[in-house]
Formats: sequence, structure tokens, C-alpha cells
Amino acid sequence: MSAHPLRLRVNGRPVELADVPVTERLLDTLRGRLDLKGTKEGCRTGGCGACTVLVDGRSTLSCLTLAQEAAEAEITTIEGVGSDAEGHRVQAAFEAVGAVQCGYCTPGFVMALTGLLKERGAAAPFGEFLEELGGNLCRCTGYGAIVRAAAALRAEAASR
Amino acid sequence: MADLDLVTPATSDEAVAALRTLPPEETAILAGGTDLLFDLEEGRLSARHLLSLRRLPWRTLDWNGPTLTIGSTLPLRTLELDPEVRTRLPGLLEGVRAVGSVALRHRATLGGNLGRSAPASDLVPVLLALDAEVELLGPTGTRTLSVDRFVQGSRRTARGPSELIRAVRIPEARPSAYVLQRVRPFHDISHMAIAVSFSPSDRRWRVAVAGFPPRPILLPEAATFLGGEHPDAPAVLRAAQEITERAPIVADRRASEEYRRQLVRPLLERAVRAATGGGG
Repeated sequence: MSAHPLRLRVNGRPVELADVPVTERLLDTLRGRLDLKGTKEGCRTGGCGACTVLVDGRSTLSCLTLAQEAAEAEITTIEGVGSDAEGHRVQAAFEAVGAVQCGYCTPGFVMALTGLLKERGAAAPFGEFLEELGGNLCRCTGYGAIVRAAAALRAEAASR
Repeated sequence: MADLDLVTPATSDEAVAALRTLPPEETAILAGGTDLLFDLEEGRLSARHLLSLRRLPWRTLDWNGPTLTIGSTLPLRTLELDPEVRTRLPGLLEGVRAVGSVALRHRATLGGNLGRSAPASDLVPVLLALDAEVELLGPTGTRTLSVDRFVQGSRRTARGPSELIRAVRIPEARPSAYVLQRVRPFHDISHMAIAVSFSPSDRRWRVAVAGFPPRPILLPEAATFLGGEHPDAPAVLRAAQEITERAPIVADRRASEEYRRQLVRPLLERAVRAATGGGG
């Protein structure tokens, strides 16, 4: 089999890799080759949302995306989300209400909500926030603080 | 695991030509990949070649009068955010929203869902109830099949080895609904589901049930019990009895047959209420 080069943009920087196997998931490329370990591996089958990143601004499960299928795309991970306007607001909202316990699921939640703000605007009906959160599992917060963070994000946007 | 060979055609002609040169039993078609990668992870994918549809200009959504044509690689999320789909095909909207999570629907496609044809697909029952057709593109051109004929069984379809799903066509906007029973309200697989639609052109209902193997099915006899546009409670009850007593409902690892039969009446009542404007 021939080599499979791969070009991406990750957190605003161009990335060129000489040979990424076709079967390699974006999750493994980010963590294993680019050392971006903030993106977490949870279930590896699309059920927990821990591996959520943005691909061209849209929340995407990196465990169910082949790296080669993201060729030429703009990837944003938790390491880069702080320099994004919406991403920073989500991080601040999580911090303000203490929506983090062990933190393993947190990058996925932050990326999912950042994606929703980019796609739908913060004035989207609150049901859309809950629907977005429905794709992410948390085993320690009980979700209350995470939902409060989402509600605060929406209230903040509505008051702008 | 041995690596695969990846082919990424940019045009329909290239895609069909590429597929002709690849051995069918060793070739997998990759659309969004949200189901296919599951097989890859579990070591169940025997393919050596992967034909990716990602560069094809098939991410389209076209309304032509009452008819909606959906390109097979359009992400489900784009479909659900179309304002006309929301108002003109509410059953389709609900079926799409039942698939995975928002992040999953940014990649998952209608063509992929049909092509993979899982027994608990949320989209096959809706497409059945809407009399949808599948447009298949092959070396000799296109052919069109009803979804009912296209889906043959659990993970079995009528797609030929050198054919690709090009588009799905829904003939008319309809009052419609999709309701399902599952453990968690988001991002879970149905135990039992019912899709209904009422055709404004022939003034008849369609009813499809789903969630159990081998495949979602249309129940035309039950649909006739519903009668006209606004079925009354006894009509819905008779239709539900017909389904409960005669539909080939079976048990699988997700739910028992008895439980599923008990779900028929409440699900059908909710579906008809939602489709006739009474809310789900």
C-alpha cells in the first residue's frame, strides 16, 4: 500500500503528516501524532461525546471520523478553543458555575457547546442546547452545573 | 490490522468508474462513517478498499414544488435545520433528530443510513411512511426504487455491487410524525417506533412500524383503519389493535415481543395526534 500523506489545519496552524493510515481515526491522530491529549477517548463508538472537536466549525466525534476524511479541514480542539470568541465564552461559563469535577468529559462538553454557538447562535432555543448536551456523558457532575452553564450562555447572548 | 486502500472520487462519473474496478466483496462505501467505523472498531469490516463519497457534489437539498430531493451525502444535521423540512415534513425532522447526537449528525447521512439498513434505523420507517424513493447510480445510468423495495432485510438492500445511492426523493410534503420508545430521551436506540403520514393527494394514511428485526415495515391494512384526515379515537384504536394482533413484531436483545406489542397503542395515538396537529 502506498503512503497516505495528510494535510490539516489544527488550531489555526497547518499540519502536514507524511503517512497516516486510512484506518486511523482523527482522535488518534490528534492525541498520538500531534500530542493534543485534551481531546479524550471515552467509548470510542460515538456514544459519549468525550472526543468531540470542531471540524470546519461543526461539533464532530473524532472517534467516528477517519483522519483522512478530515483532509484539508480546519480542526479546533480544546487546546485551541480559548482563542475562539465563542469557545472562550463557553470556558468562562463553565468556570463561573463550577461545571467541572474530574474533568474527563469537560473538553467534549466545551467543544459541543462551542459548536452549537457557532452553528446556531447563542439565541437558539434552550431546547437546542439540551439536545446538543444530550450527546455528551458525564459521570460525576450530575449535569446540573453543566446545564446551568448552558443556560447562562444563552441568557448572556439574549442580553447582548 | 491491515490498512485499507482509500479512493476519493470527485465526480459521479469517477465514482461509478472507480466502483467498477474494485472487487465488490472487498469494497466498503464510506459516507459519514458513523456506522461503518463501528464495524471497523469491532474488527468486523472485511473490506480492503474504501470508496469515500466525501468529495462528491451530492450534499444537496432541493425542493421542487411539493417534492424534496435529498442528496445522499447531505449531513443529517443540514437536513434537520432546513426550515421547510421543519414545517412541510415534520415526520422526517423527528426521524432525523432521533439519530445519534448533534455531533454525530454533522457527519451521518441519509444515504449512509439507508445503505447500512440497520433494523432499528430511525429513518427507514419515516421514508417508508412518506413513500420515498431511492435513486441509484450505476454504470448504465440511474434507476429508481421505492424504499420498500430497496430495503430487503437486516443490513440487506437491493443496491447492486456497482451502484451508489445518489439521492432520496420524497414525493410530497405531508402531515407526518415519528415517535419512538427508548430508554434515554437523547442519543439512544429505539425499542419500538411508529411513523405515520397522511397523503394530501390520495387522502390515505401510511403507517410503518420499526425497532425490531429484520427491517421496518409498512402496514397498509392498519392504515386503512385510520380512514380520513382526522381519525377519531375509535379509528386509532382499531388501527392499533390491527397492528398489535397482526404485525410481525418479534423480540430481540433490546426488548421483548410482549413489551413491543403493548407499546403499539400509545405510540400510534401519539403519532396520529402529532401528525394531525395535536402535538406529540
